[in-house]
Amino acid sequence: MRPLDLTEKDPSKKVTIYFEGKPYEAYEGEKIPVALLANGIYWLTTSLQGRKRGAFTFGPLPIVLNGMKNVDGRKAKVRDGIRIERQNYGEFQEAVEIDGTKEPLRVVVDVAVIGGGIAGIGAALEMQEHLTVALIEEKGWLGGLMFLESVPQGGFDEEPRKVVKGLTSKFNENLRVFTQTVALGVFDEGEYFLVPAAKGDQLVEIMAKRVVLATGAVENILLFENNEFPGVFRLDFALEVINKWGVAPGRKVAVVGRRPERIIPELEKWGIEYVVVPNPKRVEGEEKVERLIDTNGNVYEVDAVIVSDYRIPDINPITQAGGKLRFKRGHYLPVLDSKNRIREGIYVAGSAAGIKPHRANYIEGRLVGAHILREFGYEASPAVYREQLEEYEVEGMPLPVIDFSMNLEDVQICGCDVNFKKVDDVVKSGIKDLQIIKRLTHLAMGFCQGRFCLYNGALLVSQRTETPMGELDIPVARPPLKNVKMKVVARGE
Amino acid sequence: MPTKELPERSEITIIGGGIIGVALAHELAKRGEEVTVIEKRFIGSGSTFRCGTGIRQQFNDEANVQVMKRSVELWKKYSEEYGFPFEQTGYLFLLYDDEEVEEFKKNIAIQNRFGVPTRLITPEEAKEIVPLLDTSEVIAASWNPTDGKASPFHSTAKFALHAEEFGARLVEYTEVKDFIIENGEIKGLKTSRGTIKTGIVVNATNAWAKLINAMAGIRTKIPIEPYKHQAVITQPIRKGAVKPMVISFRYGHAYLTQTSHGGIIGGVGYEEGPTYDLNPTYEFLREVSYYFTKIIPALRELLILRTWAGYYAKTPDSNPAIGKIEELSNYYIAAGFSGHGFMMAPAVAEMVADLITKGKTDLPVEWYDPYRFERGELRGQALQMG
Repeated sequence: MRPLDLTEKDPSKKVTIYFEGKPYEAYEGEKIPVALLANGIYWLTTSLQGRKRGAFTFGPLPIVLNGMKNVDGRKAKVRDGIRIERQNYGEFQEAVEIDGTKEPLRVVVDVAVIGGGIAGIGAALEMQEHLTVALIEEKGWLGGLMFLESVPQGGFDEEPRKVVKGLTSKFNENLRVFTQTVALGVFDEGEYFLVPAAKGDQLVEIMAKRVVLATGAVENILLFENNEFPGVFRLDFALEVINKWGVAPGRKVAVVGRRPERIIPELEKWGIEYVVVPNPKRVEGEEKVERLIDTNGNVYEVDAVIVSDYRIPDINPITQAGGKLRFKRGHYLPVLDSKNRIREGIYVAGSAAGIKPHRANYIEGRLVGAHILREFGYEASPAVYREQLEEYEVEGMPLPVIDFSMNLEDVQICGCDVNFKKVDDVVKSGIKDLQIIKRLTHLAMGFCQGRFCLYNGALLVSQRTETPMGELDIPVARPPLKNVKMKVVARGE
Repeated sequence: MPTKELPERSEITIIGGGIIGVALAHELAKRGEEVTVIEKRFIGSGSTFRCGTGIRQQFNDEANVQVMKRSVELWKKYSEEYGFPFEQTGYLFLLYDDEEVEEFKKNIAIQNRFGVPTRLITPEEAKEIVPLLDTSEVIAASWNPTDGKASPFHSTAKFALHAEEFGARLVEYTEVKDFIIENGEIKGLKTSRGTIKTGIVVNATNAWAKLINAMAGIRTKIPIEPYKHQAVITQPIRKGAVKPMVISFRYGHAYLTQTSHGGIIGGVGYEEGPTYDLNPTYEFLREVSYYFTKIIPALRELLILRTWAGYYAKTPDSNPAIGKIEELSNYYIAAGFSGHGFMMAPAVAEMVADLITKGKTDLPVEWYDPYRFERGELRGQALQMG
């Protein structure tokens, strides 16, 4: 077993890969960052400003793969003999191969469901008997976070992965599932909506009469010094390496954030040694986390840090599709009508509509499915789901209070080298409008388009200018919803 | 959340807080005038912050060449004084056939006459300037190293900050609703946040100019219509990869360059309108990717971060309407820039401030005479990209 393997891997898939010229043991089909993590390698890429980055916090992961620069390291998989090198964000492949552009694959369905988490599954199941449905999921699996959790929670009694398996086994032939497929946006095309998506290098054009945004939530980025250093794990990535790949984030990990209970049962189940540190100030190390220092000056010798905090709804698909936002109990949420729509034809279900237990998200998926069934003239009982849904409460998030005594230059808001000092300096220069601050600092203008960083940017502006979060002018997301290479969307000759 | 209170009165009120309104307020305040800008959202939000960043003197008529030459001088001066990114990295027009070359030779002659050092270069020289170019079909290029680009965000913000230092008031998140007019004289403006008494009013609303003219009751025909133009930006790459603005009429009327932040920014001649819709379209995403990767194949492997749309506020000859409207005793217009507002702004600010404070200007403002449409004296089409 490799240093951080939790489980035995299939020996028939064992291969050798090379990182920075040195050979390492890996398994065919593993994600490259997971294979390297298992070997104790965390630092994989370097930001424009020269900050070391790993694969499991935020920001892009460009690597050199077999001599080809700017390959997305999070999507690349292990094959025998591959050579991987680190690169800087700014490097790119100058000599490119020009293969003919592929024609887009066109898919026509009644409903496009974006997001294959538990809400999207619920919506699809509700509708599949009568309607044709395309279920679009970015990851290689359905079930979202539930697929990654091994401990029963969120209103289901069974192991989360089993729940997902049970539900998806009921899918029928009216349902087309697109995994590892990234939806690029929602566009109006008369009586249809066009949802273009990228599956690898293949462009897929999905035409649908209704759209369900079941696009979920993201982890809140916790603010401490070097919060994006290699070895700092976002919770969803920590769950993925543990439960999907059988690799530990570290031998000894620190759990930080306001919701340690989200990860502790998993760590205990696998026997991973951990320490809970409620007040992190700074992580340090040479090439990866070596220690965590708290605000009282206590030093914890750890080799990984897992951020286990609240989740925040991903508002980008909402605003791109034309939805409005409101601020309630710590979250920006879509403004929805009585049918959970942001506007005619576009529904929202699951965490994207508000953070709540898995079962509530599932019911909400069924609820919007029932509304859509009715619009198509089929019998359905949305009122029953609505009643069930009301038994659950939507989670609020206490507003984090920013500690301005930190070394703000080392506190990263996002993966694009926007640190707290950069934003704070602009605010201090007298500019108080988030819209203008965004453009002067590039906050929310990089790879994630604000998915992870906008909230903290808004928080800083709110607290520095004493403007309530609900009164800030929040920028709207623009297509593509997720980054896509030019060659994928370029039209043919 | 308004950043400033609406004053009770102002000698001069500029409607529209884009680069034109802000630079004009800066120029007027610097000259000691009392000036207020009323902007319905935040400064730059209309079209300025959505623009393609380019600043060029390579036009095809004497007036625009002269005005842009002055503008570049001012861009240089203020970028140095105020510290915002403005780089003279040139404009490179890629030419693919003899007809294009002949056309550009004429333009170059005009530009040279006014001291703009444009010259025709070979495809090999073009490739030296931008090694990533595919020049296999290029037969020549029109190159002026003194053209350039600036950050719309940093420049507008700096002009705004310094305008305020000189005493100008920039009132954001305030929308003009109507004019108060007595005996052919503007007395005040009704806004979403109350009334402001005013002397002179300048319509600097570009895409919205026809609406403001309507509120002012202007009957003179000044055809300015908003057209949706879209732009794209890629992931940032190492500095210096694409220094100049690269133009290709052959490939989609495309323009592209690298921002000071590192992303490749630009657009193509894909236009919709007249419309006030600004939703980016899927068709644009596909078109721009096709044309850009034809011009620079390495862009194929770059990630698109974002597309967005802004307005070209277009007139029939793609030249703006700048001057005094005689129907009212105290009303000016500087609008209809047809995609050239950002690059022209410092010179336009100087021209309009001259007109207001001195009644005349040394720059050829008559070329932009707002009455030319009514008289049927359209100018030659200004060279327009995208």
